[in-house]
This record gives sequence, structure tokens and C-alpha cells, in this order.
Amino acid sequence: MQSFLLAVDRFSTWIGKACAWSVVLLTVLISWEVFSRYVLNRPHAWVLDAQIMLYGLLFMMAGAYTLSKNGHVRGDVLYGFLRPRTQAIVDLTLYIIFFLPGVIALTWAGWTYANESLAIREQTFNADPLPVYPFKFVIPVSGFVLLLQGIVEIIRCIQCIQTGAWPVREGDVEEVDVEKLKEMVHVKDEDMAALERDLALKESHK
Amino acid sequence: MKIRKELWFGLSFMALVIIGAATLLLSVEKITNGHLGLLMLSLVVTAIMLGFPTAFTLMGMGMIFTWLAYNRDTTKTLDLMVQAAFKTMASDVLIAIPLFVFMGYLVERANLIEKLFKSLHLAMARIPGSLAVATLVTCAIFATATGIVGAVVTLMGLLALPAMLRAGYSVPLAAGAITAGGCLGILIPPSVLLIVYGATAGVSVVQLYAGAFFPGLMLTGLYILYVILVAKIKPQWAPPLSAADRAVTLPPLTQQLTTGTDKYALTGLFSALKGKRNADVPLGHILRQLAIVVLPGLLFLLAVATSYQAVTTVNAEAVYDIQQIGSSSSSSAPSADTGGLQEPPQEDGLKEPVAEGGLQEPPSGDVKEPPGAEAPAAAPAAASVAEPPAAAAASADKAPAAASTRDAPTWWWVCFAIFGALVALFYLFLSFARLEIFKMLLTSFFPLMVLIISVLGSIVMGLATPTEAAAMGALGGFILAIAYKRLTLSVLQESVFLTAKTSAMVCWLFVGSAIFSAAFALLGGQELVETWVLSMNLSKTQFLVMSQAIIFVLGWPLEWTEIIVIFMPIFIPLLDNFGVDPLFFGLLVALNLQTAFLSPPVAMAAFYLKGVAPKHVTLNQIFLGMLPFMGIQILAIVLLYQFPAIGLWLPQLLYK
Repeated sequence: MQSFLLAVDRFSTWIGKACAWSVVLLTVLISWEVFSRYVLNRPHAWVLDAQIMLYGLLFMMAGAYTLSKNGHVRGDVLYGFLRPRTQAIVDLTLYIIFFLPGVIALTWAGWTYANESLAIREQTFNADPLPVYPFKFVIPVSGFVLLLQGIVEIIRCIQCIQTGAWPVREGDVEEVDVEKLKEMVHVKDEDMAALERDLALKESHK
Repeated sequence: MKIRKELWFGLSFMALVIIGAATLLLSVEKITNGHLGLLMLSLVVTAIMLGFPTAFTLMGMGMIFTWLAYNRDTTKTLDLMVQAAFKTMASDVLIAIPLFVFMGYLVERANLIEKLFKSLHLAMARIPGSLAVATLVTCAIFATATGIVGAVVTLMGLLALPAMLRAGYSVPLAAGAITAGGCLGILIPPSVLLIVYGATAGVSVVQLYAGAFFPGLMLTGLYILYVILVAKIKPQWAPPLSAADRAVTLPPLTQQLTTGTDKYALTGLFSALKGKRNADVPLGHILRQLAIVVLPGLLFLLAVATSYQAVTTVNAEAVYDIQQIGSSSSSSAPSADTGGLQEPPQEDGLKEPVAEGGLQEPPSGDVKEPPGAEAPAAAPAAASVAEPPAAAAASADKAPAAASTRDAPTWWWVCFAIFGALVALFYLFLSFARLEIFKMLLTSFFPLMVLIISVLGSIVMGLATPTEAAAMGALGGFILAIAYKRLTLSVLQESVFLTAKTSAMVCWLFVGSAIFSAAFALLGGQELVETWVLSMNLSKTQFLVMSQAIIFVLGWPLEWTEIIVIFMPIFIPLLDNFGVDPLFFGLLVALNLQTAFLSPPVAMAAFYLKGVAPKHVTLNQIFLGMLPFMGIQILAIVLLYQFPAIGLWLPQLLYK
């Protein structure tokens, strides 16, 4: 069971990370377009559409990845203070009441929406049109991955209710990774310890 | 079951919301759809406080209530959901979020902050409370490149807190300066909060950035003022640095130069050049130092010459231009106008070193005069002045005499005088020690400043859309990271993945809130709120105070993202009734939500700092230190409210 959960984690992480690279593409594309427009005086009409598609792809596909790393914003007045078992009960209830209906509906609606677009081979409203329907398929695909990840999270909640502790997840880059930041600014634990000794010494001399 | 005391805060807040909703519903005779909307709102606040991921709470609750509002019509509900999602995906405002976030992570990982703090604290060694001031300034500069509160507070906790404690600063003051400074990124552009507000409220992000600039500077200035005052009144809280801490170690070659010769770098270097005393110092070293010394002066002269030319030669073409197509000159006179427009950021970045080296407080004054004044002032000046440009260019050096002949506008002479005086001061006080500080600043402060000024400048001057500027900024972050030899594959990967997670977090919230707001509007909750608020017969002031108070209170249990995406759609339509500018409201909200980061007991900044502080620093000391800064924030809100021009002057000037 555990290996299945981690496999799904890895799947959504892989998809999210793959699409995450579109931010680099986006940077390069827009920078190049700015150069081309202002310096070479050669604007491209399709770039605006392309950049929006890259951005949409980026964040929609990263939704499941973020969920698998527990990265979606939560209200934290209560949750952090609860015992893991209570946390799991709250989560499980709300996954069933809000998450499942919402995401299933989004996936379903996105599927029909994208297929309608495919049926007419919809293009962007532009002088150099790009096809829109692949972009619209991002909604059902990301919804589906999200749903898969959500089911994994529900199983985790049940496991937590049974055992009283959250099952482990695989680590990932953290925004505030104290160890890494310490290394970056060359602060060592010994320095901190030395500082504390010095301060204590100063205090006792007073 | 015994309830632990940490839970009381959250539980009582939830109880309050539920009781409020219940009394509201029970007090009306007939429950309409609108009341259902209000019920939904209170339910969603309660559900968010329970701690479930907000994006999905909003999505699920929004869907259920949309379905109710459409009289259980499933097709319409599904259509609305997918439209809401697609609207977020195709938003040309939100697209700037991943790019700015990416730029922030790259700049953060280029590890500029360490050098920046060290050079600034040496440069400011003589100011009272210098370490705390340097902390605030570092944070403010960093805030213009990244809006990442947690990382900045952690980094400053690692760098500045030990330095301050070692220097004998009181723990609350040190902690307060770090937490308050770290939170400046929320307000100072390019902040994600302003993009989110702009997208929700339909206000131009460009105008919000222009508007938030001076309030951000004002807040930083007030913080610094407070620290200096404290250091003056209570020197034992922030003792001045000892001579040993202030000392700058000179490189050995330069040290050989200083022994025996005078301590002024300019004359010292020149005499070393021709004298035989320093035969063992290679000529190359002296020339390199000299080149750095001469650099600001040269740049100043260059800026003077080019800006003067731009100011005076604009005339002929601009007059022609005005007669032809009236006010929209910017599009059709590329040569003259872009010259005038591109000038300020560049010139500013270049002149800034001067103010810095001369030990004036650096970032607060920077963009004030030139970018603001230049573009609009150029037009009237151009219209009124009809001097032959050739003669004008020659008179660039005759500063006082030319003022009366009005061949260049007064503001140009004012800038010239100010910056000229700064350059003169710089050279007057340039000792070898200061030269070292200047070199440190040159490698830490100025690259960042150039990046920021070009990004913000191009947005504010209307040269680039926020998206384009964000992309260029991300590219600049790349270049900075490469220049500081920090760009490895793992750093790039981390930045990319963190960007994806942060963008997903914010943008999925938008998907959820788009569905939720649609449901709220469908149910007629908006009209109910509107009639209710109007029935209270509030004045404009009362309304503003009330709305800010509500947002302030909500800032405790909720995150700023949640407050903006859920509550702004409710507040914004009301603004019209009271004649409040949504732009101005946004600035108030941004200042207000900043206080939420510093208000105990849920202030995130405090916990980040606690995570890296020495063990004897308690959470209570940190909270205690944050309180005065929170007071300053409230003062800043009041000031902004009393003098809206602080925020509105720049956008009005630029986008009239």
C-alpha cells in the first residue's frame, strides 16, 4: 500500500516538475519577444497566446504536485495545534465533502469543454492563430491527476486515523530550508553555539 | 474532551463567526437566496479555519452553492466551474506571478544578501543603531527583488541577529527590526500581493506598483527613524559599534599605499602613481583602484551630458510632435522620447553610488526625483522652451549662470545640483577604508539596484507590461546568479520547482475563488451586503475605518491570499458608493495586511525567526519587539489615509 501511495506521489511530482520548467521557457520566450519587438522591431502576435498557455500549463499541472507535498495554503489557527488523528478526521471529512465533488466536477466539465473545443478545432482569436484545444485539455488532465493525488491523500488520512501518526512522504525542496540557507550564508552551528556562550558570559559579568 | 489552550483562539473565532451568521439568519423573517450567500460566506470562513486546503474548500463549497443557486441545474453549474477555471488559466494579469516569484528565488539563491548586509552595515557604521538600520535597508532592497517573507526573515535571522546580539543590542529591538524588515516584501513592488489584488479588483497592476512605491519607502523610512530614535534615547539597547567592528580590512597592496601617505584615496592614488615611494606596488593595482575611484565621477558627467542633451534636444521634435497629434507623443517620436524615458532609471542607478559612498541613507531617496519628474516634465518644458540645442549643450558646465536663461527646466538644475553635491561629498570624504566599502557595495548593492530599477522603472514608465518586465527580471536574476557563480543545476531546479509550487498555490486559490465568488454573486449575497452597508448611512471615513478594521481582524486567522480572493470581491463593489478609489483602497489593504504578519500570536515572521535564533531568544521577546513596528504600520496606514497623495501622486502623475 505504502509503495502505491509513494508511486502516485512520484507520478504527480514528476508531471508537476516537468511542467514547472515552462517557467524557464516563459522567461526566455518573453525576453526574446521583448528583444525582437523593441530592438528588431519585429513583433510576433502569437507570443501573447503562447505565454498565457505556458503559464496555464505551469500552474494547473503543478496543482497535484503541490498537493502531494502538502503545499496548498491552509488556515493555520487551529490545524497546527491539533493532534494528527484529529487533523486526519478533519481532512478526511472535508476531502469527501469539498474536494471530491469539486475536483470530479471540474475534471468532468473540463473533459466536455475540451472536447467541444476539439470538435471545432478551436483556434486563438489572433492574426497568427494557435490551436486552443490542447490547452483546454489541460483542465481535465490536471483535474484527473489532482483527483488521483486526492485519493492518495484520503487513504493517508485513513491510515493516520488508524495509527495516530501521519505516514511519511518523500522530501522536496522547501522554501525555507534552514540547513541550506545556513550553508549558503556560511553560518555554522559552532558559530551560533559560540555566540551563545559569549552572550551568557557577558550576562554573568554584569 | 479537554481543550488545550492553544486551540481556544481559533475555536472562539470560529464560534464568533457561526454565532454571527446564526443571529443574522434568525433575525430575518424570510430567508432568501442572499442570506444563503451570507451563510456560505460564514461557512467558508469556518471551513478555512479548520485547516483544509483553502483552494479546494472554496471550489467545493462554491460548486455546491452554485448548484443550489441554479435551482439544481447540473449542466449550468459545470459550465460555470470550467469557465472559472479557464478564466484563471487565461489571465494576462496573473501570468506575472510565476515570473516574479521565479526572479525572487533566483535572486535569493544568488546569495546577494550576505554581501549586501555586510557592506551596508560597514557603510552605515556611524548612524545610531547602525546594525538595525542596515538590517532594515537590506530587507527593503531585497524586498524590491523578492517577496519571499520566510526566506528573508530566516536569512536575516542567520546574518543580522548574531551580529546585533554580539554588538549588545537588546533582543526585542533586534528581533523587531528583522521581522518588520522581512515583511516589507509584501508591500514593496514587485509584490505578489499587489498582483493578486489587481487581478481580483480589476485595478491595473502597473498603477498599484507605482502607488505602492512611496508608501513602501515611507514605511521603511519610519522604521529607520524609529530605530535611530531608540538608539539615541536608549543607547544601551543599541550601542554604537566598537572601532574594531567598524574597521575595514584593506587589501595588502592598498595597505602599502596608505602607510606614510595621506588617507584620502584620490590624492593618495595619484601621488602613488607618480611617486617612487610605492615602487613595490604594481602599477596595475593602482590603476585599477583609480579606475574605481573615478567611475562615479565619470558616470555622473556622462549622465549629465546625456540627460542634458535629451532635455534640450527634445524641444524641436516634441514641439513638432505636439502640433501634429497632440498629447500622444510617446508612440511617434521614438528617438527623442525614448531617450528621455530611458534616461532616468539608468542615470539613477548610476548616481545612486554617490549617495551611498557619501554615507547618506541610500535607498530612500533614490527614485524620487528623476523618474517621477522626468517624463511628464519633459513635455511642458519642451513646449515652452525653444532654444537652439547646440548652444544649450555647450553651457552644461556653467551651472549657476544658466538657471536664468531657462534653456533647461529647473528640476534638471535641481537634480544636477543635488547629485553634483553628492559627488563632491563622495570625493571629499573618500578615504581608503571608504574605497573598500564602496568596492563592496559595487559588487553587492549596485547590480541588484540596476536590476530592480530597470524592472520597476520599465513597468512604471510604461515601457513594458508587468509580464514583460517580470520576464526580463527573471532573466536578470539568471544573469546575477551566473555573475555570482551561484547558478548550478540544483539551484536552478530548486528555483523552478519552488516557483511551480508557489504559483500553483496562488493560482489554484484563484480557480477556487472564481467559482466561489460566482456562487456568491448568483445567490445575491452581494446585493444583500450592499443594501445592508448602505442602510448604515456611513460616511466615507467610517466606511474605510470599518472595512480596514474588518480586514485587520480577518488577518489574524486567515492568510492574505485568502482575504484578498474571498473578501475583496465583496468590498470592491461597495467602494463606488462611497467614492473610494479602488487603487487607494488597495494600497490601504496592502499596508493593512502587512500588519497581519507582525501581529501575535499568529505572526509567521516570528516563527521563522525563532527557528534560527539562539536558544535564549524567546518567542515572547520576538513578539514584544514586533509590537512597536506594528504600531508604526498602523501609523503608516493613518498617514496614508490622511495624505492619500503619498500613494496616489505617482500614479496620477504618470497615467493621467
